[in-house]
Amino acid sequence: MSENSRKGWDAVVLNPIDELATALRHLTAGEVVRFRVGDQPCELIMKTDVALCHKFVVRDVVAGEKLRKYGEVVAGASEPIEAGAHAHVHNIKSLRAVRK
Amino acid sequence: MDQFSGYVRPDGQVGVRNHLLVLSATGLTGPTGRRISQALPGAVFVAMPYDGGLLGEDRDAQLCTLIGFGVNPNVGAVLMIGGNPPKLDYLAKKMSKSGKPIVSISMDECDHDAITLTERSIRAGAKLMLEISKLRRVSCPLSKLFLGLECGRSDPSSGLVSNPMLGLMADRIVDEGGKAVFGETTEWLGAEHLLSKRGATPAVEQAILDAVLDNENRAIEAGLDLTGENPGPTNIAGGLSTIEEKSLGNIAKSGSRPIQSVLKYAEAPATPGLHAMHAATYAPESVSGFTASGANLILFTTGQGNSFVNLISPTIKISANPDTEARIKEQLDFTCTDVFSGEVSLVDAAPRFLELIIDVASGTKTWGEVLGEGEEVVSRFGGSL
Repeated sequence: MSENSRKGWDAVVLNPIDELATALRHLTAGEVVRFRVGDQPCELIMKTDVALCHKFVVRDVVAGEKLRKYGEVVAGASEPIEAGAHAHVHNIKSLRAVRK
Repeated sequence: MDQFSGYVRPDGQVGVRNHLLVLSATGLTGPTGRRISQALPGAVFVAMPYDGGLLGEDRDAQLCTLIGFGVNPNVGAVLMIGGNPPKLDYLAKKMSKSGKPIVSISMDECDHDAITLTERSIRAGAKLMLEISKLRRVSCPLSKLFLGLECGRSDPSSGLVSNPMLGLMADRIVDEGGKAVFGETTEWLGAEHLLSKRGATPAVEQAILDAVLDNENRAIEAGLDLTGENPGPTNIAGGLSTIEEKSLGNIAKSGSRPIQSVLKYAEAPATPGLHAMHAATYAPESVSGFTASGANLILFTTGQGNSFVNLISPTIKISANPDTEARIKEQLDFTCTDVFSGEVSLVDAAPRFLELIIDVASGTKTWGEVLGEGEEVVSRFGGSL
């Protein structure tokens, strides 16, 4: 990721293969947000509010799908999540150190 | 060439501070030690709460930590108190390799009278204080820095900006021939495949994987879901969802250089370069492990704000979260919200941070020092007999 790729954008996708984007400001349901995937500018209508530093999915994902940030798997979707919806502990889960 | 002004110790290590350490080697003399240190303004006071009945790993870690605090180069002289001469003699002998003045006074020598111990210790401590006040800072190369790399109350801004900033500093100091240590094993979980590749030898690679497996198994055996524990409630409120996400942000603190060894808690590294400490994630325990291993400066990132600082080594607090910067200005020694917003690149902001590191290493106080925060908390591993 080039260093200045965040300037003027609403969210950051750290690796082009990531499903998860991080909000660079407080985002509101219904607003159009702009971010880049690699060098490609993208726009998305937010489905939910997403607070600063929280995450949303950049495409629809199905339950059980592995989700990436930094180009690495960081969670599994515990339910279907629509593009532009908040992705957090209510709908994505760790795949590690899970209680037997 | 970048230099800082430090106190050169007889063993060649360099302190960025010149503390008289009042060290109570046992919980029995803790309150007396506190009274003694209060009579010696400027002294730093550490009390080990435990002593008798320590077993195995606990016994080793407590002794290693006591010695480590004593030989830390930020300590100019040690006034040690405790129960009986044999233990104090053992510790003083181990600390004496540093060549600094060490005085120990035991309760056995004071008829187990706290007032006698107080009187003798204040007198001895005052002499040590006067002696170390004669030392002067001299110009030293950055290779004499030993960075402890910590994060606390992290959020995604930590992984995005502040931790990579620490990584740049770790790389820089390591390239100068200095040392750096990172720990918090649980926060390698989900990133161990990346971290282990940086092991300097196959044995180090394996040790990193083993350490992670050890912690993951202990968490599972304890019957807990890591989520809620780590990431904890503050991390989750800040936007971190899983340990994998947190870990991938965490390991950015370690920079990019090879990992020379996996240290036990409080163990001093045998070589320069970057080292990993297999230890607790809780910041007070983790940072005391670094200080006991010899770290003379702590770099500590936070997302949501974290007031904890180490006592023996100054702790530079850094955040990239614009909301946090607005909330707690008198906690953050360095902010890089301009990097978070993309106004400035990480690489362009790095010289500004290095300048602060050099300033603090040369005597400029951190917020934590100004406010008199600072504590040492040593890990326990099991019960006592």
